[in-house]
Amino acid sequence: MTRVFVGMSGGVDSSVTAALLVEQGYDVTGVYMKNWSQDLPGMKCPWAEDLADAKRVAVGLGIDFRVFDFETEYRERVVQYMIDEYKLGRTPNPDIMCNQEVKFKLFLDVALENGADMIATGHYARTHDGTLLRAKDENKDQTYFLYRVTEDALRKTLFPLGDYTKAEVRAMAQERGLWTASKKESMGVCFVGQVGMRDFLSQYVETVPGDIIDRDSGETVGRHDGAIFYTLGQRHGLDLGGGLPYYVVDKNMDENIVYVSRNLNAEEMWLSTIELNNIHWIDRTPENGAQVQARIRHRAPLVPAVLEGSRLVLDEAQRAVTSGQSVVIYDGDVVLGGGVVIS
Amino acid sequence: MSEDGLLYFDYAAATPLSDVALRAMRPYFSEKFFNPSSPYAPAIQVHREYEAAKHELAVAIGGKADDIVVTAGATESINLAMTAAGGGHIVTSAIEHHAVLHAARRHDVSIVDVPRSGIVDAQAIRQAIRSDTQLVSIALANNELGTIQPLRDIATVIEAERLARRNRGDKTPLWFHSDASQGVGQIDINVARLGVDLITINAAKCYGPKQVALLWRKPGVALTPLVYGGGQELGLRSGTENVAGTIGFAAALTDASQKRKSESKRLGDLRDLFEQLLVEGNDPLQVTIPGKKRLPGSLHVMIPGVDAERLIFLLETKGVFVATGSACAANSGTRSHVLTAIGLTDAEADGSLRITLGRHSTEAQVRRGAEAIIDAVRSEIERVRK
Repeated sequence: MTRVFVGMSGGVDSSVTAALLVEQGYDVTGVYMKNWSQDLPGMKCPWAEDLADAKRVAVGLGIDFRVFDFETEYRERVVQYMIDEYKLGRTPNPDIMCNQEVKFKLFLDVALENGADMIATGHYARTHDGTLLRAKDENKDQTYFLYRVTEDALRKTLFPLGDYTKAEVRAMAQERGLWTASKKESMGVCFVGQVGMRDFLSQYVETVPGDIIDRDSGETVGRHDGAIFYTLGQRHGLDLGGGLPYYVVDKNMDENIVYVSRNLNAEEMWLSTIELNNIHWIDRTPENGAQVQARIRHRAPLVPAVLEGSRLVLDEAQRAVTSGQSVVIYDGDVVLGGGVVIS
Repeated sequence: MSEDGLLYFDYAAATPLSDVALRAMRPYFSEKFFNPSSPYAPAIQVHREYEAAKHELAVAIGGKADDIVVTAGATESINLAMTAAGGGHIVTSAIEHHAVLHAARRHDVSIVDVPRSGIVDAQAIRQAIRSDTQLVSIALANNELGTIQPLRDIATVIEAERLARRNRGDKTPLWFHSDASQGVGQIDINVARLGVDLITINAAKCYGPKQVALLWRKPGVALTPLVYGGGQELGLRSGTENVAGTIGFAAALTDASQKRKSESKRLGDLRDLFEQLLVEGNDPLQVTIPGKKRLPGSLHVMIPGVDAERLIFLLETKGVFVATGSACAANSGTRSHVLTAIGLTDAEADGSLRITLGRHSTEAQVRRGAEAIIDAVRSEIERVRK
């Protein structure tokens, strides 16, 4: 019997994942990865509750349950990376790093050491023969976060939810009476809620207030509390009074200046050629000049593009392509890989 | 109480509000809503009824109403009690509730070790008392193990130290506090017979409302308020009196005291039956601390090698509710300090169940509960073997 260690976060997706694997006849062990447990200002870290939820489901399914403590590694490989990237003025994606370093490397390794034949997670994605494929539920597809996973890891991975929609998964949880069936979706980075990123960063990075300058008029239109908090294309949180909204169009980290514009079509915001580094191809390297599709952020539509070495030429310019963020490259349903935007 | 379908065995955590208490409280949420400090007749009537409730509380512990401070829960009562140490040293034990340990750690404190028996050694307390010790705090009964502490012996040690201080002209006071929350309704809580100078009693553990407790202290014990304001409770606990809560507390405490002797015998018999059924039905199961020095309603068992948290999750689906001191997620992965303090191994602590009985426990419930636990343990042992 194939032994599968399934990552159980205490959410409904991984709960259904475990249930399906049990039903499919695998020898299943549930694993809670303890990556973060620290409370943040005004925010209680829900790890203990999540762990208990995951364990309740595991006990209900009659499977083994373990806790893998990855706090040190998570801090070193994901949180530190995130902080370093923000310091450089970029917009990193810690979830992608978490998948690359923790879930599909560390977790896989420790699971195999502990007798697993394979691992499974509740990601909405499909895999076949070391290939990563988009999920059936286009709206939930999580392959954007998975493009840095290796072919070897994929060969040892199951994604039982890849053929279901989120609605179907919820229904399956209800039918099975799983404890987590009606649990609310967690948002954003696993340990910082979306609103919490600013508070989180302020704990680790010394920030200095600086000027917000209107790129078009050259006038100082406001003050910011640290350029690292601002992302290209961002509209909210500028607090610059009435009139047409301002958008962030550029940052100068050395001089701690945030540049904004009221012009939605400001040239800086639109990019048709994207230079990538840290490129990772999963199981095949596309040829130079290959016609591909690119996704510049999670849930963004796929846009046709041509690959020219480490450069991606988009058929149509895209708005707010930010350095540090990932561009994932597809060939139809197949995820070829992707890279990190440098400019 | 409509808990007949539930096999609730966690009375040490919470007791359901008694009908007597609920009935007594009800008018104070509606027609008797007045502020006891207001000057008109109906408010003064409420004030009198509040004072009468405090008198009733005092009678139940053998003290006087003026020496009682009503607090929002036992934790506050304990924190207030700790101020009796002034700037001095505190002696307490390693198996005290976190309310005591964490409040005491704000002072200079010595924490005495407790042997495997789960019973504090009075001689260890004697050795820990220094010339600047001003407070000793030991619970009447341990909230996890149910072990009854030798308060009389400790009081004797304290009296000897006081005498020695008097003889050498040392005026440093030394007081003895006990959190008696767990013993109420099961064992004697008369302050004179226990030999304590301060006592904490929790309404929520004797079928009264939550967030209501009292601190009684002997006249002469100086306390420092934690909450300042309008000067209620002789200035020791400001804030408009919790009239409904105090009246419910008084009704519950009187009721529990009246039922104590018969209830204590009944619970002891039920506990012994529970223990016998579990021991007979489970090979690896051990009673953590057998014998008579336990609260009649308390049973603590260990099944080393079995994950007690899994048992709890299995049992809850059958409507059976028990507690554990294991390193469970519910308490953020920390093993019970009580179990660690008496020297249980990790496997023993992680396989431990706390079963506590109360007023609505019946023999039929005990039999069904024991059967459910035996089944759950058996299925877990089988699962681990596979």
